[in-house]
Amino acid sequence: MKVTKDQALALYRMLQTIRQSEEGLARQYAAGFIHGACHTYVGEEAIATGVCAHLDYNDAIFSTHRGHGHALAKGVSPRELFAELYGRETGVSHGRGGSMHLFKPEVGMMGTSGIVAPCILQATGAGYSFKLRGVPHVGAAFFGDGASNNGAFHEGLNLAAIYQLPVVFVCENNQVATEIAFSYATRNTDVWKKAENYGMPGVCVDGNDVLAVHAAAGEAVERARAGGGPTLIEAKTYRTRPHSEGMRDGGYRSLEEVEAWKKRDPIKILTQKLMIENIVPQSELDAIAEEIRLVVEDAAEFAKNSPYPDGATALQHVYAEV
Amino acid sequence: MREITYTAAAREALAERMAVDPTIFVVGEGIGPRGGNFGTTLGLYEKYGAMRLADTPISERGFVGMCCGAAMTGARPVVDFMMVDFILDAFGEIFNQVAKMQYMSSGRLKMPLLIRGCIGIGGSAATHHSGSYLPQFSNIPGLRVVIPTTPYDAKGLMKTALTCNDPVLFLEHKNLMATKGPVPEPEEDYYIPFGQARIAREGKDVTVVALTLMVRKTLEAAEALAKEGVSVEVIDPRTVSPLDTDTILESVKKTGRLLVIDESFQPCGIGAEIAAQIMDKGFDELDAPVRRMNGGFTPTPYSPSLEAAIVPNPKTIAQAIRDLIKE
Amino acid sequence: MAVEIVLPRLGWTMEEGTFVEWLKKDGDEVKPGDLIYVVESDKTTAEVENFDTGILRIVPNGPAAGARIPVGFLLAYVAKPGEVLPFEGGVGTGTAHSTGSGTAPVPEQPLSSSKGVEGPARAIAASTNGTAPAGKTPAISPRARKVAGQLGVDWSDLKGSGSTGRIVERDVRAAAATAAAAIAAAPKVNATPVAARAAADLGVDLAALAASMPGKRIERADVERYAAERVASAAPALRQAQGPAPASRKPMSSTRKLIAERMTTTLRTVAPVTLTTEVDATELVRLRESLKADAANSGGEVPSYNDLLAKIAATALTAHPQLNARIEGDEVVTEASAHIGIAVDTERGLLVVVVRDAQDKTVRQIAQASRELIARAKDGKATMNDLRGSTFSITNLGIYDIDAFTPIINAPECAILGVGRIVAKPVIVKDKVKARKMLALSLTFDHRLVDGAPAARFLQRIKQLIETPYLWLAA
Repeated sequence: MKVTKDQALALYRMLQTIRQSEEGLARQYAAGFIHGACHTYVGEEAIATGVCAHLDYNDAIFSTHRGHGHALAKGVSPRELFAELYGRETGVSHGRGGSMHLFKPEVGMMGTSGIVAPCILQATGAGYSFKLRGVPHVGAAFFGDGASNNGAFHEGLNLAAIYQLPVVFVCENNQVATEIAFSYATRNTDVWKKAENYGMPGVCVDGNDVLAVHAAAGEAVERARAGGGPTLIEAKTYRTRPHSEGMRDGGYRSLEEVEAWKKRDPIKILTQKLMIENIVPQSELDAIAEEIRLVVEDAAEFAKNSPYPDGATALQHVYAEV
Repeated sequence: MREITYTAAAREALAERMAVDPTIFVVGEGIGPRGGNFGTTLGLYEKYGAMRLADTPISERGFVGMCCGAAMTGARPVVDFMMVDFILDAFGEIFNQVAKMQYMSSGRLKMPLLIRGCIGIGGSAATHHSGSYLPQFSNIPGLRVVIPTTPYDAKGLMKTALTCNDPVLFLEHKNLMATKGPVPEPEEDYYIPFGQARIAREGKDVTVVALTLMVRKTLEAAEALAKEGVSVEVIDPRTVSPLDTDTILESVKKTGRLLVIDESFQPCGIGAEIAAQIMDKGFDELDAPVRRMNGGFTPTPYSPSLEAAIVPNPKTIAQAIRDLIKE
Repeated sequence: MAVEIVLPRLGWTMEEGTFVEWLKKDGDEVKPGDLIYVVESDKTTAEVENFDTGILRIVPNGPAAGARIPVGFLLAYVAKPGEVLPFEGGVGTGTAHSTGSGTAPVPEQPLSSSKGVEGPARAIAASTNGTAPAGKTPAISPRARKVAGQLGVDWSDLKGSGSTGRIVERDVRAAAATAAAAIAAAPKVNATPVAARAAADLGVDLAALAASMPGKRIERADVERYAAERVASAAPALRQAQGPAPASRKPMSSTRKLIAERMTTTLRTVAPVTLTTEVDATELVRLRESLKADAANSGGEVPSYNDLLAKIAATALTAHPQLNARIEGDEVVTEASAHIGIAVDTERGLLVVVVRDAQDKTVRQIAQASRELIARAKDGKATMNDLRGSTFSITNLGIYDIDAFTPIINAPECAILGVGRIVAKPVIVKDKVKARKMLALSLTFDHRLVDGAPAARFLQRIKQLIETPYLWLAA
């Protein structure tokens, strides 16, 4: 294990933050507080956590429709997240974006997206900007297996490679795109191998093992900051909730499969590793979990009591000066 | 004052801004050492090198998306797309990302992105090299659409495009690029704001609004009509988003008659928007129905005789004006 | 506090679902992940998941199987053991609908749409939205202007009811209705104030005078003339001599006087010459017969011979304009259009009604016009317009079996065409004797204006047009 105790605790805290926030959002969706879509990240928390641990507020991440985890890991607070999904003025996008358009440029969260794959191009662009300006920042794109067959994947990785840009491409392969199995959508289900086509390094990790993700991401970010160009990381994982809250979960996958992956819970895996290496006592982990529980409860309450944005402001921010 | 070409004038603006703003970089096919298919970046690669004049592979969606990301993170990219028809591959990036980014981020992200290249029918370029797509770009909230017709305007509007924080489509008609016109000496640093039409010719009998190349054709028609005693006021909007309808309205108050000349097709062209706005705001000034003269409703044909048949020319424009006067 | 279980939105557009069944019972222990009830939406049947640990308390009188319930409907609570719920009299958090669904406020005013269109720093011009500035002509919609023209409304003083003060159609129509009502109530005499005074002075009955010149404004001259007629007719009868049955005496009517005066004036000034010719009118008769037959099928006017001749004369005059002229002082005034006078015999004497622009009218239009004119003349309702302005006249005595005669020019015209009877006669046609319908024409012309040869050519042209009607049909 190449993390310090503090780093490990930080990782654990973020896993809990994402897990409990997502479960809280699922519950609030059922209670009717969330408008529009809500794609939860339960089961995939290790990826956002492990990658974003290496990034600071100057680094820019670009996410997809399943982006709450990335937002939280990059520095959006649960309060801002809940309020945004509740459509309130206090949300991180002031009610304009909802789940799929979360923006907090101040912390380098450059948007979740309702369109699959453009985040790959935009992260490449961030890399270009940083290289042009000679600053040591990094761009990162988070996308699913579904995006790996999109033209933007091909064009974006190619551009990042030919210009040798400081970008980390993170493919969260949860093996299904809505209801289409990845094995149906491609004949080559190893996304990391496609990196070779573009002349960049490709890495495969267990997406449910936050320490493995952390290690691989660390290397990729190092490489980028040092001017070594882009990396493609494929993190194999699984989402244990439906594609989107309110949608059915059965029909395209079996209950057994879901139960099997639940056993590979990222939080359990980290806990076990920490126990084995005796780094952190269980009680400390429980305390963190309880802390987060209160934070999430507070976030839901905060969001529920926040005002809706004034309809008269709906036309603002279309252009820079209006 | 110097007489220089439209392309040279726009290039001067780009060069002037690149010299003082190190965040400006240009991407496109052939804009590096070659200096651009139309000479839009001639001489700049030698000065600024590959990072700022980056040749791209043929991946319009890719490099437009990339420039969107770069504009979000502190750079000021210029996409030099060569022909507007190519950039249609990137429509998704332009509409869903570039145009919407400021709104989605509640104004915390700006989008200082310039997308420029040539439009228009002429020279038998045929249907994949002859588009304009002004209504499509103008209709989407969040984009600016700029269509200068003179070297003077090209330089002034390009300067504004390279200093504003909105994404701009800067569309240059291919038959205007080699035309010459007076431009002030380089020391004069001038900017033309968006949303200000230019009165290309004063008149009192009829108002004719013309788009891009049609401005020149209409001026020719107006010259001929002057000999018949018809006094035509010709307006060049210069930008269609934002669109200066106030100037058009003032003119219609004088003349009572309005005709819009657009080489591109109906229905739903820019002329329809102008007509609707003037009909609404200037209803009482109108002495005759507002008319639009458009090109044929067809993809652009190749053979010169067919191409000539589907665009307005000075003779057909003059006749349309005469017909409107009779109304 | 107990957690509310409400129907969630299972799909973005779902607004209600069909309750199917409970999977747990009231009082059951439940934990996160348990499926507690089944609901159907348009797209799917779903088993709904529970998120909390506790006792399931189902709200009584809940939906039966198959009931439609809206999203947000409160179905149950997950409560702590022993907790008293709102439906049992406990304190609740309010209904799910009001707080749980967190309904967003809906605006009542539409957004101003111009903001998005204008660019930075461009204000909307105030002048386009305000009312018309004082002192200027009021604004009128194009449509209102058109209607004003149709109804004869002077709209310059109207108050507009359009949103910017613009005069719109309803304003014009209202004004027209008011004016019509005013006219209906007004006295029927249209006389100048001067005429009215003269009438009063001379004891003239304005209403009676007005009846003889309908639609015309009475002027002082009209009053004086009318008074003169009255005086003349009121003159005492000449004393009669004794002896054999006295001749009857009657004062000359005003019309007769007028005619007498005009005849003598004409003959004093013009240099009349009458040319006669005989014309083969067989084709003309054939034409008229076919027009008659056609009218029997499709209705419409049957042109009289005068109508046909008016058309022919007008056609000939366009080629011989010197006969469409008159002398005024030292000038020869040649009219551009042929207004054909047609002589009508009325109780009051000979009147000449005028068909205007006969060269531009079709025969049917001439027929219609002449029918109306003649009717008015015979009824004594001919207007000044009906009787004035002819440039050439036709007088037809054919019905009285007259052939040629010497019509007197209807001054100040140049010529008059006298038309005789149409009678079948034997005629040599291409060396053969044929029965043809022959017509005598007599053209009297003013030799001051026109010489014999041109006049003769004109008459010859008329002859040609009568003999070959196709010529003027093509004209």
